[in-house]
Amino acid sequence: MRRNQPLFVQGADLHKNTFRMSEVAEQGKDLCIHTGVVLRNANTKEEEVQSLGTLNIVEYSFGKCIEWKPIEDSVVSENPDQDSEWSLVDTHVRRARTSSEGPDSLGRTRTVRISFSDLNSLRINHGGQQLIFMQKDGTTYVAFFQLSNAESFLNSLKGFINFVKSRTNRNTFIVVDEVQSVLSKSFAELDIFQENTSDYVWKFVRNLHNRPYETTLEAFSKLADICLYKDPVKSSEEASEFLTHDVPALPASVSSGDEYEVIGDHEFDVLPPRPHCPRGMPLSQEQWNKFKDSEGRILNSQEVKDIIFHGGITPSLRFEVWKFLLNYYPWNSTHIERLELKKRKTDEYFAMKLQWRSMTLVQENNFSDYRDRKNLIEKDVNRTDRTHPYYSGDNNPHLAQLSDILMTYVMYNFDLGYVQGMSDLLSPILCLMESEVDAFWCFVGFMEKVSPNFEVDQAGMKTQLCQLYTLLSTTDPQLAYYLNNHDSGNMFFCFRWLLVLFKREFSAVDIMKLWEVLWTDLPCKNFHLLICAAILNTERNVLMENHYGLTEILKHINDLSNHIDLSSTLSKAEGIYCQLISAEDQLPDNIRVIIGLEVQNNVLPVIDIENDIEASDHNAEADESDINAEKNSSTESILGFDTVTFDVKRYK
Amino acid sequence: MSNRDPDNLISTNDETFDYLFKIVLIGDCGTGKTCVVQRFRSGTFIERHGNTIGVDFSMKTVLIDDKKVKLQIWDTAGQERFRTITQSYYRSANGVVVVYDITKRSTFLSLQHWVEEVRRYTSSHVLLILVGNKCDLESLREVEKGEAEALCQYLPEVLQVVETSAKENTNIDSVFFYLASELKRRYENRQINANGDEVVTLGASRKLSSCSSCSYKIF
Ligand SMILES: Nc1nc2c(ncn2[C@@H]2O[C@H](COP(=O)(O)OP(=O)(O)OP(=O)(O)O)[C@@H](O)[C@H]2O)c(=O)[nH]1
Ligand SMILES: [Mg+2]
Repeated sequence: MRRNQPLFVQGADLHKNTFRMSEVAEQGKDLCIHTGVVLRNANTKEEEVQSLGTLNIVEYSFGKCIEWKPIEDSVVSENPDQDSEWSLVDTHVRRARTSSEGPDSLGRTRTVRISFSDLNSLRINHGGQQLIFMQKDGTTYVAFFQLSNAESFLNSLKGFINFVKSRTNRNTFIVVDEVQSVLSKSFAELDIFQENTSDYVWKFVRNLHNRPYETTLEAFSKLADICLYKDPVKSSEEASEFLTHDVPALPASVSSGDEYEVIGDHEFDVLPPRPHCPRGMPLSQEQWNKFKDSEGRILNSQEVKDIIFHGGITPSLRFEVWKFLLNYYPWNSTHIERLELKKRKTDEYFAMKLQWRSMTLVQENNFSDYRDRKNLIEKDVNRTDRTHPYYSGDNNPHLAQLSDILMTYVMYNFDLGYVQGMSDLLSPILCLMESEVDAFWCFVGFMEKVSPNFEVDQAGMKTQLCQLYTLLSTTDPQLAYYLNNHDSGNMFFCFRWLLVLFKREFSAVDIMKLWEVLWTDLPCKNFHLLICAAILNTERNVLMENHYGLTEILKHINDLSNHIDLSSTLSKAEGIYCQLISAEDQLPDNIRVIIGLEVQNNVLPVIDIENDIEASDHNAEADESDINAEKNSSTESILGFDTVTFDVKRYK
Repeated sequence: MSNRDPDNLISTNDETFDYLFKIVLIGDCGTGKTCVVQRFRSGTFIERHGNTIGVDFSMKTVLIDDKKVKLQIWDTAGQERFRTITQSYYRSANGVVVVYDITKRSTFLSLQHWVEEVRRYTSSHVLLILVGNKCDLESLREVEKGEAEALCQYLPEVLQVVETSAKENTNIDSVFFYLASELKRRYENRQINANGDEVVTLGASRKLSSCSSCSYKIF
């Protein structure tokens, strides 16, 4: 939960830009209101209470401003439109506050105003959850969007202010008004570092020794900030020197370019028509036998996967083939090797199982993290697929197996531990494998693929929700636009789909078919997001013609459970893939990244800047949680670290 | 009580109501939120439904003083890790039911935390009820009702503590009726006291689909 706090960015003192309402007597005209935004002064490290507010575009006689106002009780209840994230309103007096100006008793609420004329650049961060405002004097604010995403605010800004997308980073936008004044500012004047540079370098070197990975990312993120924020300026010598000398891993091209692309330039309107992609036949015993050589190696695993992708697996074969799909057995292993492997893995499993089995009551009492996980497993095992014959009835022995596997997984990967949803992922596997050991190792393979879904900060989920929206903006811009205008641009209504990979949406039979298709990793990365897009495409008219709002959308999608036709959905998803591929050379980079195509003009192909920022974010937050003496702080920071490594891998 | 289909969110033309309130259930996992809602909505106790991922919906219209009060019930997931998602569902809630399990002290100790979340993500006018569920399991009790009442001294926003059992249908309806009538009463008072422009009219013919997600405020 604390993960969604905005990050710290080093910078100048910001207080001078924090207006109190009383200083401006004039009643501004609200052009736009965006609710559910936490604003953080990016530079102060003082403990601040995070308060929720609205981010508005307001017009005064002296010009237009972006204004963040904390939600006061009075405001919340006064504004009947509060629920629609965007409401275009005329001058409205009802928001005028009298008593709520200045810091309240908790010292937390102040209106913040950023004049358009002071604005230098904007950056979307954290997969659209954050918007960073950089003023010309280096003042930086981070707005965290709780209820929607930064892009929708940016879209509104488009109407009022000119900005262009930075060539060097697709998430950065440079305000083009009065670029000259920015150009004339030197790097030093921007005063990005609070520490002086040489101190900083030494600190970096020291930390590098202790925490090499985090330190590099942290430093990189700061450097990237300099380069990116200073986008219109030719890269400062100091910065590029710093880059090349101290962070050798960085691509040299990170220094800022000076080409811009106008927003909308790359936007791309219509995909070619969607081809019909019929489903194929499931992998048969005969085919499977032919793929095996005399010693049992699977000769052409790509071809096997291709058959599975198009038609799934004959049910009686699943038992065998899943072990390969879930990386329990290597494709090129022989019968004999597999027997040995199985023996080894069996021993390994029981050794891990013994670890928790032999824990004494005293040990357990002194190990709260373990106890928490155990309690949760117990609760969930009792309510996992109990309507399925395999798990139904009192004292069903399969429940104990389910529980044992999950407990052993806790010992196998304690940091991830047990999170709700995992029992859903295990249940069909156990049901098929019947053997506890096989089910465990297959589950391990499955978790390997989806573990980001379960990480503490939910970054993996947020990334996917955001990617889904991005994807939809290309595959069905009209629907994406509609959703965004109906408080649903955050795609939260697809949360359950993604968290347990549609487990709750399909019957026990269908979910096996769907998962084996997904496990082939064909035809592209994130095919599950294309499946989401396919389902949404089927529902689009219902959603739009009925003018569904946030609640109805959420409810409608929830209620689709067990009413989705699998094979037509898979066909459609593949069709969408074909559409994207046939327009490949026109696809914007953000889509290319999602489906795993090489990025065309991104200068940071290996380490995506978002992830670096996240890395420093994690660090900052790990510190924070230490301060708050959070009970899981150590685990959390480790997990945070894992998230980053994973993300970086994923963007390769 | 209205005999219209409580599940039918999609408004048909005759779907009318006098009030629509959004009620959110929160609390640790396994405290019985889904069972409580299920009991209220359909009068059944389904012990073995799955845990909640994200949020589930129910609708139920109740009659209070001859007025149709439609309750839109949001049943959220208790798992801490999903809170960034579930928090977004608090917004514009009119009533919040915080559920703990009287047989699990830890769920009671989390209440403070849940109430803080409510403070943070909802308007201060939201009505809050504490529910100690599973009171049929008296022999396993770990939290006395008096303790919950004592806690409320420090939580001024809590209206009431009620012990319930979804299993034996104890006090379930009264939680929702109490909330509904209290919300209605406060709304009506507001209407009388407030000066004209602050009143939000809840037309009897207002269709749900036209007031996307209960966006008006009642105070
Ligand atoms: N004895 C008894 N058991 C109950 C009662 N209510 C719920 N339970 C049990 O508690 C378990 C958890 O209940 P749920 O309703 O799923 O809990 P929840 O709060 O919705 O949990 P999450 O969805 O994980 O947040 C159920 O499987 C029931 O067996 C009750 O009133 N009495
Ligand atoms: Mg539940």
